[in-house]
Amino acid sequence: MRTAFPTMGTMASVELPAAWASEVNEVQRIFRTIDDRYSLYSPDSELSLIAAGTTSLSHASPPLLASYARALEWRSATGGNFSPHRPDGTIDLNGIVKAEAIEQAGEHLTAVGCPEWSINVGGDILVSPTGAATPATASASPLGPRVMRAGIAEPLSPTELLCSLELRHPRRAIATSGSAQRGDHIWRAGSTEPVSFVQVSVVANDIVTADVLATAIVAGGQTALDDVTDRWDVDVVAVDRAGALRATPGLLHALATKI
Amino acid sequence: MRTRAILGSILASTSVLIVGYQAGVSVTTSDGTSVSLPVDAATNGTAGNTNAGNGSSTPGTGTAAAAPAASGPADGTFTGSSVSTRFGNVQVAVTIASGSITDVTALQLTDDDGRSVQISNRAAPILRTEVLSSQSAQVSNVSGATYTTDAYLSSLQSALDQAGA
Repeated sequence: MRTAFPTMGTMASVELPAAWASEVNEVQRIFRTIDDRYSLYSPDSELSLIAAGTTSLSHASPPLLASYARALEWRSATGGNFSPHRPDGTIDLNGIVKAEAIEQAGEHLTAVGCPEWSINVGGDILVSPTGAATPATASASPLGPRVMRAGIAEPLSPTELLCSLELRHPRRAIATSGSAQRGDHIWRAGSTEPVSFVQVSVVANDIVTADVLATAIVAGGQTALDDVTDRWDVDVVAVDRAGALRATPGLLHALATKI
Repeated sequence: MRTRAILGSILASTSVLIVGYQAGVSVTTSDGTSVSLPVDAATNGTAGNTNAGNGSSTPGTGTAAAAPAASGPADGTFTGSSVSTRFGNVQVAVTIASGSITDVTALQLTDDDGRSVQISNRAAPILRTEVLSSQSAQVSNVSGATYTTDAYLSSLQSALDQAGA
C-alpha cells in the first residue's frame, strides 16, 4: 500500500504491506517532528532560533547537537565539499536531516517487524533490509519486485528514466543530488566554476552516506568523484553538463541485472 | 599510499603471469605453485564486463605486444595463483585476445582483516546505450534531484504513486 504526503518542502512516498498500513502514521510523525526542529522556513523551529542567534548552540537539544556533530564529521571526511553551513556561515542542516529522517523512519519500520517497505522522500530512497535480499525472496515479496527496483531520473527530461537498478541488501539506499530540479542549491566553497555534474546518484548501504556523498560530488566535481569512489564503498552514476555519463563498475553490474 | 602499494603488488603478481605467458608454457608464482595456461580456457568471469566499451581500457601494453602471438596460448582468461603479500592476498586473471593482453582483473584481494578490497571503483565514462532501457512501469520509486511539493504534481513519482495507490 502506497501513501504520499508532503514533508520537508517535498513529497514522501511510503510503500508498506497492507497489513502494516497503519505504521504510515508513525512514519509521518517522525518526519513532522524532525521537520519542526530543523526547518529554516519556520521561524519558530529550534534551528531557526539558533541561526537567528536567539538560542545559543550550547543550549541546543541533544538530537540537534547530534545531527550537527554528524554533519561536521561529514564535512571533515569530504574535505569541506559537504557542509552544514551556508556560505555566509549560517547553520543549515538541510543537507543531512532529510536523510536522517528517512533513516529513523526505516529503523522504526524494521523495529516493529514490518517485513518489507520502501521510503522515498524527494527522490532519496531507502528500502527494507529484508525483501529482495535474494532473487528467491524477491519473487515471494509481498510488495512485488517493483518496490525494490529504483529508477534514476533523466536530468534533462525528468519524466523519463536514465536507468533503473535493484536495491538489494546491503545496498539499500540511493540518493540523487543535482541542479536539475531545485536549481543550484548546493554550496561550493569559494568556487565560481560551473558545476561539472548536473546530477549525481550514489548507491550506498545507508541513506545518509548516499545523500551526503551525492551532494559532495556535485559540489566537488571530478576530483570529489574520484575521491569518493576511492574511499567509500559506494556506487555512483554521474551526468555531466554535456549529458555524458560516468558510472562505477558496481553500478554497471547493477544496471545490467535483468528485471 | 596503501592503495599504491596494493597496486604495486598486483603489478608484481601480474608480471609473473606475463612472464609465464611469454614463456608460453606455465606460470610459476612466488608461492611455488604453478598454473598451466590451458587452451580454450576462456571464461566469462568479470574480465571485460567492468570496462566494456568505456573507451578507457588500454589493450595491448608494450609487454603484451612483445609476446609472440603466433606461438602463444590461445585466447582466453588465465588465472594466477594467490600470492601472499604484506598487503594481503593477491590473485589476478589476465585476458588474452589476438595475442594481446586486453584485461587484467583482480580476483582476490584481501586486507589485513581478511576483508575483500576493491582495486578500483572509479567511475568510468559509459554510453547511454550501455544502460539498459528502463521503463517506468518496472519501478515504483524514482531517484532524482529533490522536487518541491508543487513540482511533485508533474513528476514521474507522482504518476507512480497514483498507479500504486
